[in-house]
Amino acid sequence: MKKLNQLFKRYWQLFSAAAVVLIIGLGVFGYSRSQVHAAAGRTRVVFWHEMKGPGQKKLVTFINEFNKSQSKYEVVPQFQGGYNDVIQKIMNTHGTDASPAIFQSMDISTSQMYHSGFTVPMQKFIDKENYDVSKIASVARGVATRNNTLLAMPFNTSQTTLYYNAGLLKKYNITPPPVNPTYSDITRVSKQLYDRSNHKVKGISVESYSWLFEQFLSNANEEFANKNDGHTGISTKVNFTGPTAIKSMTWVQDRVKYGDFMNFGSHKNEMAVFLSNKLGIYMQTSADMSVLAKGLGKNLGVTYYPRPDGVKANGISVGGASLWISNDKSEAVQKGAWEFTKFLINPKNQARWEKATGYLAINKDSANEPILKQSYEKLPMLKVPSDQLKSAKANYTNSGIFVDGVVAARSLIQNAMQQIYAGKDVYKSLKAAEDSYNKVLESNNLANGWTK
Amino acid sequence: MIESLPSTKQQPKGPEANQEITAKVKSFELKKNDKYYAWLFLGPSILLLTVFVFFPMLRTLYLSLFLTDTFGNPTVFVGLKNYAILLKSTSYIASLKATGTYVISVSIFTIIFGLLLAALANQKLRGIGFFRNIFTATMGVSVSVSAVFWLFMFNPSIGILNKVVTAFGFHPIAWLTTPGWAMTAVIATTVWMHLGFTFLLFFGALQAVPKSLYDAASVSGASSRYQFWHITLPMISPTMFFVAVITLISGFKSFGLIDLMTGGGPTNATNLLVYRVYKDAFMNGNYAQASTEAIFLTIIIAIITFVQFKLLAKRVNY
Repeated sequence: MKKLNQLFKRYWQLFSAAAVVLIIGLGVFGYSRSQVHAAAGRTRVVFWHEMKGPGQKKLVTFINEFNKSQSKYEVVPQFQGGYNDVIQKIMNTHGTDASPAIFQSMDISTSQMYHSGFTVPMQKFIDKENYDVSKIASVARGVATRNNTLLAMPFNTSQTTLYYNAGLLKKYNITPPPVNPTYSDITRVSKQLYDRSNHKVKGISVESYSWLFEQFLSNANEEFANKNDGHTGISTKVNFTGPTAIKSMTWVQDRVKYGDFMNFGSHKNEMAVFLSNKLGIYMQTSADMSVLAKGLGKNLGVTYYPRPDGVKANGISVGGASLWISNDKSEAVQKGAWEFTKFLINPKNQARWEKATGYLAINKDSANEPILKQSYEKLPMLKVPSDQLKSAKANYTNSGIFVDGVVAARSLIQNAMQQIYAGKDVYKSLKAAEDSYNKVLESNNLANGWTK
Repeated sequence: MIESLPSTKQQPKGPEANQEITAKVKSFELKKNDKYYAWLFLGPSILLLTVFVFFPMLRTLYLSLFLTDTFGNPTVFVGLKNYAILLKSTSYIASLKATGTYVISVSIFTIIFGLLLAALANQKLRGIGFFRNIFTATMGVSVSVSAVFWLFMFNPSIGILNKVVTAFGFHPIAWLTTPGWAMTAVIATTVWMHLGFTFLLFFGALQAVPKSLYDAASVSGASSRYQFWHITLPMISPTMFFVAVITLISGFKSFGLIDLMTGGGPTNATNLLVYRVYKDAFMNGNYAQASTEAIFLTIIIAIITFVQFKLLAKRVNY
């Protein structure tokens, strides 16, 4: 019994010691936090971002420069993990001290952010100071626009691009694909490469990735979801079985059947194989550019995303993420967030951003900046994705998909693509994905009270 | 509380006896307070369990009866409809089958290879210590690291596995992009990851089998195969049971490898139940569906663990 009593005493001693440590710790932490705020004498603008690697490095440089360039605001960067994580975090912290003043959120979250009502449209600040937003690429603005109001500012922007190994093409005496190619232009190159290399080199790879499927539709001006891809209302149905959907997937399946196609399972694998001269063509984000240019140098070829034969290219939408300003912070903080946004998208910084990361400069004036001019002169193909971005005029089908929960649609399409690559019927595979997602849309609209 | 039990020994005499009696009375009084002690000691864990286990469990059950909106709030009550949808969904049934294949293969192969390695390492040979260390090495490798280098080995064009396959004159295999091979690849990687720990357990068990038993068997002329089936196996059966339970349960919980190697693909062939819950909740934002799946998973694991204890426990010699 004595032992038990001792244990009991010990227990309380430990417990109270832990409690004291905790209280002191919290006190010190709270004090130091308020100290940061007070000592700076500036308005604190917390910025949540999801950039890793070179992107993060460059972003931190920009933030330091911004903080030095003026004395009113202090931007505090906080890395928050992946794009999907941030959406959940915003939904759960809005209205608390933990929420950021400005945050980066991915292209397909636009609809969800809009419906949350947690943000101030960028348009408000643009109108206030007559900021010339026409300098920002039109399709980039398109993904973050509702009713002619710019909701968020596109920041790290990429587009799908077609890469080919120009060195291999030269070796086997094959004419490179033209700018703005059709499916058959690509087929020709891919087949020739496969045949002339005695099947040692694969012609083409298209990752089973829904973003690529979506861009096939965009480039042919075909709707993904009704109500103009959700831009003019709440989408109630999706369309994965339209003419272009079938045409593009049949095209890929034909390549699988011929043998010049290979599915590498992941972007990383695909890139590694391409760099080791075992693959002629692949289509991926323009952000691969810096790595590919470093690996292949002048042997890298780049051209626009392909379009169906006989169809005029409509242009493709952008991927990446935009900057959103939260509405749960004071006017002064919001103003600071806007000033920071302007700083990030000015021509010079966008040019440096493109050079450092491979994301596309969204500011049209960036191309005149010496830093980009020089690198374009050195390797002219670096300019191709940026030309592709500027060449498109925004309309509903090339401005992203304004639907809540596109992520779920993406995994269904990905599944359908994998089935198609494995030889299943194109229409049936796509139809199954379409039916499944229509059910998701229906219950989602019901849960959010959007069904009449 | 052993001290408070009535002693069956002879009562000591003299002043010591008096002391003993007073101590007994005191301890009897304290017995009434035992329940306070009980609450005191159990309190923190009950509090923690309530906050982090019981509440989320009940919340999950609650969410599974609703449709959830963009914020994850339950908005429309649908009763058991989510469950009905799930049971009718062909992709869920496929996930169930895939999980079954995965979990069973992983535990069987882990046991076989773990035991094999342990039996090898149990020989008294020169330099065996080196191999004993090597065999446990996978314990020190994190999931992400092993996923990354297996990914490179599985690369269809430049991976070492296909180099080996083509060297033998076969066609290169699309390891992670054909459904059957992807499952094989994921199983192989998981078994490899589990092997270190399993080896350690089996090796320890083998070392603990008394030598005298083998000596006795040898004297009576039993073959080494006979010795294995009738001495080794029964003696290590508790370890075997333990390994079976933990590999089965960790198989159900497998997440990191799937996420890094296949992302549930191709064509959902490796979309195991846990991964599915994660995907539905945190990527698709469909908390209601994910909650329903989580409840199903709980039921499945509970049933399997119960059956396992009932069936296997009988065959274990302690």
